Amino acid sequence: MEQHIRLAQTLPPRLLNFFARFPPAPLAALTSSIPSTTSTTSPSDPNAYPPSPLPSSKPHTHTKPSPFAAFRNPTTQNWHAPHISLRRQAGLFKLAAQHNVLSLMPSSPKHPYEKERKRIENGLRVQGTGVGKRVKGKLWERTLKGRLEGRRKAMEGMPALVREWKERGHGRGWKKWPK
Amino acid sequence: MAKKAKSRTIAVRILSMAQTGFFMTFRRPRTHRPLSMLKYDPVVKKKVLFLEQKRGGK
Repeated sequence: MEQHIRLAQTLPPRLLNFFARFPPAPLAALTSSIPSTTSTTSPSDPNAYPPSPLPSSKPHTHTKPSPFAAFRNPTTQNWHAPHISLRRQAGLFKLAAQHNVLSLMPSSPKHPYEKERKRIENGLRVQGTGVGKRVKGKLWERTLKGRLEGRRKAMEGMPALVREWKERGHGRGWKKWPK
Repeated sequence: MAKKAKSRTIAVRILSMAQTGFFMTFRRPRTHRPLSMLKYDPVVKKKVLFLEQKRGGK
């Protein structure tokens, strides 16, 4: 127990403050029923995900809602942004990964396991690739083929055109001028 | 109303017939017949026929 407390105190102040304000699920269950519980049923894997609550026989105690999730005001039905922004969540998860306390963190899209799961699900999504996606390209790119084809045709007919022009007197008898 | 008489010369544009969009501008007398000449087109890198563009849009 003493060893656990000393280990916990080695965590950086940012994480300690976070856990003080929003205790993780196993810890909340412990603190809400202090007289009787022992530490024998603590989770063994520090990197378990999703965070597993303590398998106690006691009824579900009221834990704080996740600071990482958006919430609704029950009276006004308005949605509010999470108490801790995604930017700060990312920082907290980085620290948690460094200090091996990922299992104590609430779920969030910034959790490394969630990010990995999303990456596995979707793959590297490069703009323009994938099912039903096309790269539009610039106008000059889209018309390039047609324009080069026009040039090629014009150059093919050029010797005949020049011969005709010369025969007609180098422009003296020429009637067809471009617009 | 306007006392300005029409000028003697006009600026004309001669277009490459290789459909490259390359053009040159010349000044010729208004009464002269339209210009046409064999000139170098740098887009196709050859000497091609250049013909004067028709005056006025639409």
